[in-house]
Order: sequence, then structure tokens, then C-alpha cells
Amino acid sequence: MKSLCLILVVLLALSGSFGVDRNNFKSCDQSGFCKRLRAFKPERSQYVADFSTQMLHDNMFFLDVNMVDLESEKRTVLFRYVLKVSGLVDNTFRVEMEEVNPLYPRYITLLALKDSPIGDNLKVISKKDGKLTLANTKGHRVVITADPLKIEFLDKNGEVAVVFNENSLMHVEPLVTKQERTDENGEIIPEEEGTWGENFKSHHDSKPRGNEAISLDIGFPDADHVYGIPEHTDKLALATTTSGEPYRLYNLDVFEYELDSRMAIYGAVPVLYAHGLKRTVGVFWHNSAETWVDVANIADGTVVSSLVNLVTGGQKRRVDTRFMSESGLIDVFIFMGDSPSDVFRQYTRLTGAAPIPPKFSLAYHQCRWNYVDEADVRGVDDNFDTHDIPADVIWLDIEYTDRKKYFTWDVEKFPHPAQMVANLTAKGRKLVVIIDPHIKREAGYFLHEDATEKGYYVKDKDGKDYEGWCWPGSSSYLDFFNPEATRYYSERYKFENFPGTNKDVHIWNDMNEPSVFNGPEITMPKDCRHWKEPQEGVEGIASYWEHRHIHNEYGLWNIRATHQGMLDRSDKKYRPFILTRSAFAGTQRYAAVWTGDNAAEWGFLAASVPMCLSLGIAGISFCGSDVGGFFKYPEAELMTRWYQAGAFQPFFRAHSHIETKRREPWLYEPATTALIRDANRRRYALIDFWYTLFYEHSRDGLPVMRPLFQEFPKEEATFTIDDQYLLGDKLLVRPVVTAAATSVQVYFPGGDTNTLWYDVDSYQPRVANGYANIDVNIAKIPVYQRGGSIIPRKERVRRSSQLMADDPYTLVVTLDANNTATGSLYIDDGETYEYKKKKYIYAKFSYTTEEMTYTFVNDKATYPTLSWVERIVIAGIKVPPKTAKLHQGDKQVALQMTLHRGNDVLVVRKPAATMAQPWKITFSY
Amino acid sequence: MICSTWINRFYSFVLVISSTVIFVQSDVPRPRGVSLSKASLYSPTKDFTCFDGTVTIPFSYVNDDYCDCFDGSDEPGTSACLNGVFHCTNAGHRAQNIPSSRVNDGICDCCDGTDEYATPNICSNTCEELGREARAEAQRLAEVHRAGSHVRLELIEKGNKRRNEMAEQLSQLENDRAEAEKIKAEKEVLKNELESKENEALKVYREAEEQERQKKAEQEKQVLVVEATEHFVRFDANNDGLLTIDEIKVVNVFDKDKDGQVDEEETKYFFGENEMVDKDSFIATTWPLLKPLLMMEQGMFRPAQEDEGEDRDVETADTREDLDTDDLGMEDENLDVDLQQEQDGHEEQELDLEQSKTYDDETQKLVNEASEARQQLTDAERTVREIEANIRNIKENLEKDYGLLQEWATLDGQCLEYEDKEYIYKLCLFQKVTQKSKNGGSEVGLGNWGEWAGTDNKYSVMKYTNGMGCWNGPNRMTTVNISCGLETKLLSVSEPFRCEYKIELETPAACDDSNSTQQQQSHDEL
Repeated sequence: MKSLCLILVVLLALSGSFGVDRNNFKSCDQSGFCKRLRAFKPERSQYVADFSTQMLHDNMFFLDVNMVDLESEKRTVLFRYVLKVSGLVDNTFRVEMEEVNPLYPRYITLLALKDSPIGDNLKVISKKDGKLTLANTKGHRVVITADPLKIEFLDKNGEVAVVFNENSLMHVEPLVTKQERTDENGEIIPEEEGTWGENFKSHHDSKPRGNEAISLDIGFPDADHVYGIPEHTDKLALATTTSGEPYRLYNLDVFEYELDSRMAIYGAVPVLYAHGLKRTVGVFWHNSAETWVDVANIADGTVVSSLVNLVTGGQKRRVDTRFMSESGLIDVFIFMGDSPSDVFRQYTRLTGAAPIPPKFSLAYHQCRWNYVDEADVRGVDDNFDTHDIPADVIWLDIEYTDRKKYFTWDVEKFPHPAQMVANLTAKGRKLVVIIDPHIKREAGYFLHEDATEKGYYVKDKDGKDYEGWCWPGSSSYLDFFNPEATRYYSERYKFENFPGTNKDVHIWNDMNEPSVFNGPEITMPKDCRHWKEPQEGVEGIASYWEHRHIHNEYGLWNIRATHQGMLDRSDKKYRPFILTRSAFAGTQRYAAVWTGDNAAEWGFLAASVPMCLSLGIAGISFCGSDVGGFFKYPEAELMTRWYQAGAFQPFFRAHSHIETKRREPWLYEPATTALIRDANRRRYALIDFWYTLFYEHSRDGLPVMRPLFQEFPKEEATFTIDDQYLLGDKLLVRPVVTAAATSVQVYFPGGDTNTLWYDVDSYQPRVANGYANIDVNIAKIPVYQRGGSIIPRKERVRRSSQLMADDPYTLVVTLDANNTATGSLYIDDGETYEYKKKKYIYAKFSYTTEEMTYTFVNDKATYPTLSWVERIVIAGIKVPPKTAKLHQGDKQVALQMTLHRGNDVLVVRKPAATMAQPWKITFSY
Repeated sequence: MICSTWINRFYSFVLVISSTVIFVQSDVPRPRGVSLSKASLYSPTKDFTCFDGTVTIPFSYVNDDYCDCFDGSDEPGTSACLNGVFHCTNAGHRAQNIPSSRVNDGICDCCDGTDEYATPNICSNTCEELGREARAEAQRLAEVHRAGSHVRLELIEKGNKRRNEMAEQLSQLENDRAEAEKIKAEKEVLKNELESKENEALKVYREAEEQERQKKAEQEKQVLVVEATEHFVRFDANNDGLLTIDEIKVVNVFDKDKDGQVDEEETKYFFGENEMVDKDSFIATTWPLLKPLLMMEQGMFRPAQEDEGEDRDVETADTREDLDTDDLGMEDENLDVDLQQEQDGHEEQELDLEQSKTYDDETQKLVNEASEARQQLTDAERTVREIEANIRNIKENLEKDYGLLQEWATLDGQCLEYEDKEYIYKLCLFQKVTQKSKNGGSEVGLGNWGEWAGTDNKYSVMKYTNGMGCWNGPNRMTTVNISCGLETKLLSVSEPFRCEYKIELETPAACDDSNSTQQQQSHDEL
């Protein structure tokens, strides 16, 4: 939606410039712990393991680690820690390290993991020469070196795949109480500046717990590139940061964020993957505090020895990384791969995959800040039909409320919301309304009065209700850590509590970083207090969590409460759709994410691809950018290209800023409107393909939108490609993201396996052979179907996806070099949880020269669909069959076929087989 | 363009026989979804050729729920072709063509319900009812038109009358102008004559005055040089005869904005682009700038108003240094008045000044006569200007397009108001549109009369353009949609797009008989 305060909008608008005001956001040097830790480069690590303390319990191995004074002769133990290594299923390890008896508990992120991780047995297989070796049941090993502490994770071949603390950057700042310390002469040792308080601009952070930062270096031998740790605006493959700022993870509402930047923006998912020709591995840094990540790729000539020390020896391929967090404990999951798909799955196995979304949410969304009143909504709705452009959802931004009080309506502009919703649903359309987490502090507003009375707000450093400034003016923020507050908030979504809504009204949670216009870095002060379960005898600093501990997770708590509320409002019958702007590990379980407040510029269109790829591999597949750009106005060509790109990205929504010119599709020249209509129709024709992809994602946790290297991990050229991608493993998409393009470079992967790629417009096959120049005109979207795949289409595009539910399928079969192809299809009612009761069809298509089959993967699961097969297009056929016969149940029907194009495209006319039952078509020659 | 992609590209066909043609129950048997006018193109006894001529198929393929034709013509009654059209007869109401994608989608698009034949009971036939309502509405509109057109005839009559009046007025004014020009010329001759006499008489006085002034200026200049030199020497800390930036940086008085330091902007103000100045240029350039500041410091001079030019400050400081501050204040007020007054006003003031002087009786008489002549010329000129302004005004109005029959002429300048929750809108026809918040605040211009902008009927839409600029956006503009009504009034005002307003206006001026006849005809087709 929008970001930041209006005052800033005014200032920037007056100055006429576009772009982020970097002064509002910290650099590493301005972030106390980042500056402190980045300067911390000991020659030798002070952390030493004490093997005598080892203990193994099922899948958990414990060991004491001491931080010793290397200067002293006896190596005095300064602080004591306990190290825990766990073996987990699916080739995953977990390493945790915490102080023994810390002064206060350290926060362990609560919502990122879907469930408690499932253990895989560990055993100690050797202990000699100061090294201790553990093994899991799959043949991966963990080698712990005692002095100094180093932890190596070995792949099945016994080669080091991941290594901790090789560069001696492991550090856990021990919690201490504030007291004056004196040196031997009785002089008071001054505290390091910033230990008990930091300033940024006019903001003071009181830091009552002092320093509690953590740091760890993680090396990836043999890796060519590392990926992940969204959300940033730079390339998919992460850059070496040695000579600049590290990647920052801190959920922030960055007004007019800039491109090609490592600055933190709305989301933070601390998972990082390392990929090379040998293997793919990954690490998940389980921490919700402000985090900075340094990357040093040995292949980048600029890497100096600061991060890559001599240990790397003569290796040509290696990437070193270093994680630094302001608080929390060292808690890292290690994914041993060994392919990209393996690590992506291993990550979503921990944090969850997106559940099957309601089908409408995969169709086209029309949003604007703001559709001003009911007549406006009606007009937009009608215009889609007048111009024969399919659309599923109309959105309402903040202006629908009674002066920014959420769960209320502006009664002048929206006097009959239920009627308005009914007008939409009559055509199968839905409404999405915004509900932000800031609550207007206005006497008489029920939400504010209840929250104040019951203490549901986040508290400031002194324990009073925190007050910040956001859209409504003075606002407070619900503390979702308080289960009562969450329950209360969830109940607001009940239909009776939010009149005018029904099951077809879905929710947009924006501004949930949280955005606070007058806060430090436009967010909540770090010393704000969150609820913590009261405990006997625990008071003071230990009796609450500070916002600094949980910051990146706040939005997740917000959408989780929304999700619960939306489930409860329909007695858990209907699937909720939620859009969130802030994101964290696990967000995918509840909501879709968009890339926030972009601008109508070609660069932002281009950036939407790597940004969504990066979020996708970090578990968040349901991603998209504001089509057309939020700020500024897109001229016809940019708008056309953005629709064409958006039609092939998971979340497809047009949105715009209130101060920009209206830009609904019909407000352009008819030729542009026609191109937009075409782009939307392409989306709708593939709606069941998208739905199937998301169903499969819910099962296998793999990204829907995939980087090329996921499917072609041994093809080096793909490692850095992030301007094209794959949908599932079937469609290759290369959006046009530059002005006046007459051709684009497309990389066709899979040359070594003679992969064929069929242009979806012409069925013209192309043998994979790296880059090729492809001619494009304004109507062309370069999209290719992989040889060997079968994609279901619905060619009768109607006003909304719901109206197409019973429509027949066209199956597009593109043959591989062996004249075979496979595909899949998922069908259910599109909106309920009945699929959990086996009310669905998940079917596989298989084509060989002899027969084409449609079989149910789980034959206990069925769905009484009325849809049928109207057409089968088989592209790349070498010898056309003479006859074809459909077999379904007892029925056998001879089918008509026609040959097209250069006699290599066969169309089977109207098999008319129902999709509710398996079928088979036999071919004879 | 997408979908049915295969069909857009391939041209071969295998012929098969089957039998699934569906006919609608109607007078002329024809496939479902076909209009009467196209019925003849579908003959069950022949193969069917797509309308575009590209493909011929067995007739049994028509409406068999499979798209064979690129143009969709083989599936008029199903949803099979993306580009197809379904015709509903809608007996009792208007016939309708809908896109094929609306056939059997569960939504009743045709009032006879024929588009949802797959689920027979979901749509009831509402055509009779709708038709009745439509006819009643058409009837009502026709009556409004009839009644409105009478009022319109009056408007036309008045409009023509007004136009004629204006034309008459114009020719009268043009006569007046010629007359006034003549008077003006006479007065000018008279004035010139008397002024030359006056000048002659005043010459003596002026010369004396000039001498006095020169003398005074010389004295002043000397004082200034002395004073400037004195300061120059004081500021020139190293006595090298050059004043450098470093030297002035330590002198408070150069800190023009009193922020405690002499910054670059300030040094530039005093030195221009120079790094240093010698004494002569100090006296010539820097000193006049510096002096007022010094005086201000000493409390002798008050800072200039922001909207006053620097030059004037300097001039005032130079010439009035010996006056006390009260006098200066008065002088400023006079100057302010000056700025607002027109040229002739200025002249008058000069005269006043001169009149305040004393001359001998003879001279005084000449001066008085000249003044009188000047006054008369000014009056004559004003009269000419006034007449010309009237002429322009009337010409402008005559050039305005008041409709083919002048039906809008009398509405020019008529103002209509509309109130919503927050604003009062005012449309002054052919003039401007404004908006005023009910919570106070000034009026915002939403556009000034621009042009007629209807597409079919030019006089159905007015555009008012170039209103007040929108913050961070374009100038406001207003579109006025006009419909026939018995009185002239605003029906609604909205802002569908940012800074683009839309007004619905009803007026008898739009009750054109020819339009109403057309409407009547289209309703007769029912």
C-alpha cells in the first residue's frame, strides 16, 4: 500500500525527487552491535569445547564450551556456554549455543517453526586428536574441533560442506548487570559507549539489558554463490559485502525504497543457501532480532583476507558468510541438501509451506488507494465486464474506514457494504479490505477502549501504553504476544463484529513491520515491551520481551492472529486469504507477500523478478509486485509489460498511490486495454495450472516460481540468472522489462539433456542451447513450455475464475526427445477445507506414443467436478497416429484428430471425457 | 489472442458426422444464440462455412460446444469460442448480444434467461417487466423532452434577442469609441501645448534646484568616502590596502543573517565572486551594502521588508542617512502606495509635489492650466479604455458558442450550486466552476469555461479547464454532462479521478426535439 508519513510525502513531492532518504535508516556503523561486531576480528577464537562434558540424548548432543582468556597463562574461563547439536530428519542439523545460567532468558523465536522439528538419531563415531565426530543416520557427519571451537558439517562423501567459526567470528556477548568496574588502580573503567543506551537521530534506545549480540561465521567450501536472506532489492545471487554495507534484515517501512540495495526493507527471512557444482547446502538463522549478514565470495577479486582467512587454502570456490544479530542466541539449522530442491524443501519442512490458497487469490486483483465509495467500486467492477477483462478481486485501502478506525466503515462513502459485497459475489468476485495493526487512540473507539482497559497494547520502556504516529494520527499497537490480545483481535473478524463482511471478504494486513511514522527508522522503539507469560518471582527486566528481540517477527504475530480470526469466523470452513507486507520465516503459512511500495519505473518491474525469486526460495512462494508501480504513473508500454509480467507471477495485483492518475485498464488507449485484456486472459487460461502448482507446493514445499539453477543445478550459466524463471518445472518465463524492446536474450537450459522448449504461442520447439535472441513485439511475452510436460488450460475465460470452475480443459502436451510427457492437475471446490476430507482430485497425466492416461494419485480422494476435456493439443509429434480411442469406465469412443502446423501438432477434437473419473486414450498407427 | 491459440493458427479439418444441433423455439428455426437477421446463414441442410470463410464443417458441428471457427461463428449458442457472440431475443424488451463467455456461467445476463439454458431454473424471464419499465421510462423521458422543448424554444427566443441586443450594443459602443478617441486626441493637443508653456516657465526653477541637488550630492559623497575609508582601514587588519574574506570573517557586521558566522553566502553578498577588494571597490560596491547593516546595528535603521528590493534599501540609506527613523517609515509607506498605483496616479503625485512648491503667480497659473489639461487627457483616455473593455467583453460573448439556436445564450453567467457532505460546488455557466469547503477556507477553482466537448452531440458535454493546480498534480478541470430537464439544476458533483470533477447538469436547453425523436424511435424497436 503506502508507506511512511504524509509529511514526508509532502516534502519529497515538493522537492520533486524520487528515492529513499537514507538518513532515516541506519548503516552498520550507526547500529551499535553491527559496528561493534564487524570490528571484532580476533586472530584466534576464544571459544574452546570441553569434551569431558559431552552428553548424547537420542538426537541431541551436548557439550560445554568455554570462552577463555587467551592472554592469561592458565587460560582463565571468562564465560561458560552450552553447545547443543541436534540431528533432524531430512538431512538437517541444528546447532544451539547459549550461556550457562544467563542473567535473563534470551528470546527464542516462537513462530518461525511450523512444529517441533523431528529428530533423527545422532551417534558419536569417534573422538580423537581434539576432534569429535557425530553422524546422523543418513551418512552426514559433524566434526567438532575443541580448541579453538570449530564445527564442520560433512556431506555423504566426507567432504566439508558447511563450517562454523573457522574464521573465529563466533561470539555471544554475555549478559551482565550494569555496575561500575574498576581496574587495578581503583580507577573506574568507563563503559564502552552505547552499552547501556544508543542514540539514532533524535531517538534514544535505553538498552536496559546492555549488550547481548551474537555473531557466527559460516563458511561454504565449494560454493559458487549464496542466495536467500530476503527481502532486498539486489540480485538473487548475493554479492560480496566486504567493501560495503552488509545485508541487513530488519523489517522496515522504507519510503521509496531504492533498487540494487542491501538495505533492509519490509521483510526479513534469515535463510541462506550455498550452491555450487558439487552440492547445495543451506542455513537457517533462527533469530528475529535485527540481523546483518556479510558475504565474501572468494571468486570476487575484491575479497580481502578479512573474512576469508588463510584456512581456505588454495580453494577456488568458496563463499564465507557471517551472521550478526542484536540479541537472541546462536540457533542455526543446517540443511545438507544436496540439491537446490532438497535444501528448499528442508527449509519449508521446518517453517512450513503455504497451504492451498483459495483459488480466487491466484487470479487477478484490482486495487487502488483508494476506491473512494460504493459507486466507484461498482463502476470498476462493471468496467471489467464492459471491457471483457477478467478480474476476481476488488480491494479497499485505508479510506474505506471511519477515519482510519479499522473494523469500521465510512458510513457516508460505504453506507451499504453488505450490498456492495453482494454485487461483487454475484459475479464470483471477492472483496479484500485493509486492516492495519496500528489502532487509533480515539475516545469512543471500541477497539482502543477495550485494548486500553484490558492492557492489550505494546508498552513503552516505562511500561505505559506505547503511542506512535501512523495513518490515524496518534496510535497504539496491539501486543499479539498477549494471548488475550490475540484472541480479542481474532474475534474482531467475526462477521457480527465486522458488519458488512462475509466469507468472500478477505484481509490485507499492511504496515505491520510495524510502521511508526515518528519512531526510530519509522518503526517501533527497540525498548518497547511485549507481553511475557508471568512467572512466580520473575519481575523487572526478565518479565517482558523487548521489541528488539522480536521485531522481525511482529508482522507474523499479526497475520497469525488475523488468520485465526478468519478461520474462526466461518467455523474453520473457508480458507482465508491474507496479504502482508512485513515477512519473516513462517509467514508463508498464513499470507501472501508483495514487494511493497514500488514505483512506476522499468527498474522496479525488473526487480520484481529477483525479489520474488528470493522470497520464493525462502519459503514465500505467494509473491508479487504492485502491477503498474505504486508511486508515479506508468505510461502505456510500461503498464502493458507489467501486466504481462504480473500475469506470470504468483500474486497478480495492480495497485496505485492515491495521488497518482487513475490507471484501470480501460483508461488507456484501446490498443493498450486490449493488450492488458490479453495478459489477464493468459493468467485465467492457466488458472488451474497455478492452482495445481500451489497444491504441489503445499505438499512438497518447493518454490512455485523457481530460479533456473533449481531445475538445472549442474549448469553453471544458470547460477546467476534472475531475469527469467520457471513456474514449477514446466514453464520458462522471460518477462520483457525494458522499454522499446524488439528482442530479448533468453537462456534455454538443459542443453546436455536435449531439453526442448516450446513457444506457448506457436508450439515452435527449440532445442536448449544456452542463450538465444528472441524477437518480441509489444504483444509478445516469451514463455516456453518444457518438452515432456502436460499443462491443463481453461480456454473459456470468463468474468471471474469462479465462473470457470465447471469449464472444460484443453491439455497441452509438449513432447520431449523420447516422445513422452507428464503433467498433473489438482481440482477441488477452491475455497473450503473439504479437501482435507479427501474431496479433491489430484491426477497425473502421462503421454506415450501408445496412450495418454489420466490417473488419480490418491484414488480414495475424489471430487465431483463437472469439467471435461474439450481438446488435447500434442506438440512435437513425429509420427501422427491413425486412430485414437477414449476409454472411460465402460465407454469407448473413437476420437477425431487433426494435424496442424508443419504436421507436428496434433489436435484431438473433443474427447469429452469427464475429469471426475480417470480415463485413457489409446493411439494406433 | 491467447486461448484457442491452436485454432488461430491451423487450417486443416477432418469431416465427421454427428448430430447435436440445438434449435431455439421461435418463429424461424435457427440455432441457439443466432439473431433473426443471421438465421439464413445457418442452414441445416448444408455444411456450415465459418463467416470468415476459412473453414467449412458439417452442420452437426454448429453449437456442438467445440470451437471450430476462428471467428467463433460455429458456436453462437455455447461458450466454446472465446470471441463468440450470443444473441438473446428478449421478447418484450430489447434484444441483446452478449459475449459467449457469459453463456452458462451461472449469471443471468439476458432478461429472457436463454443464456443459462444449461441450468434451466436459475433465471426467470424478466423481459416483460423490464420492457414495461423501460417503456414507462422512455415515456417519461419523452414527456420531459416535450415539456422541456417548449422551455427551450423560449430560451432560443431570448437567446437570439440577447444576441441581437449585444450586436446593437456593440455597434453603439463602436460609435462611442470613435467619439471618445476624437476627444482624447483634442485633449492631447491641448495638454502638449500647455505643458510646453509650463516647462518654459519652470525652467528657471529647475536649474536652481538641480544646482542645489548636485551640491548636496557632492557633499554627501565626500562624507561617504570619509566614512567608508575609515571603516576600510579598520577592517583591513593587516593594513595591506586589500580587504580579504578572512579579514571580514571576524567582523560581526558582515554576518548578515546573524547566525554567528560569516559564511560563504555572506562573503559573496559583499564581495561578489572576488576573494578580496581594494579600497575603491570597497567604497563603490561593498560599503553601500554594508552601511545599512551598520546602521541597523546602531539602531538607526530597521531591516527591510522581505518583498522590497535590495536596491531600494541602499538608495534609501544613501540619500536619507540624515533623516531620523520616523521619517523613513513614512517614506516607506509612500513608496508602498506608489507601487500599487498606476502610472497616471504617479503623475498626479508628482504634480502634488510640484504644487506644494511656491512659484510666482504667473508661473503658478501656467502650472495649474497644464495640470488641468493633463487631468482632462487622463479622463479621456480612461473613457476610451472603458469603452474598449466593453467592446471586448461583448465580442467575447458574441464569439461564444451558445448552441446552434442560441438556446444557451441567456444561461451565460447563471450560477448553480450543489452541496454535498463536505463542499459547496458552484457552476457559473460559461464562466467557471468553484468548490468551497463547508468548514471554511477559500474557494478553489475547479476550472474556467473551456469548450463544448460532447462526442456525438457536441452540446451534451461542457469542459471547464485550467482550474487551480492540484498539489503534486495537474490543474483541476471539470466535465459537465448535460441532460434534458425542466429546470436548470445540478444533479450531482463527483471527483471520479484525482482533480478531475464531474457534474451532472439538467436543463431545458438540452431538450432538443430532434434528440427526443431519435430516442423515441429506438424504443419503438422493442
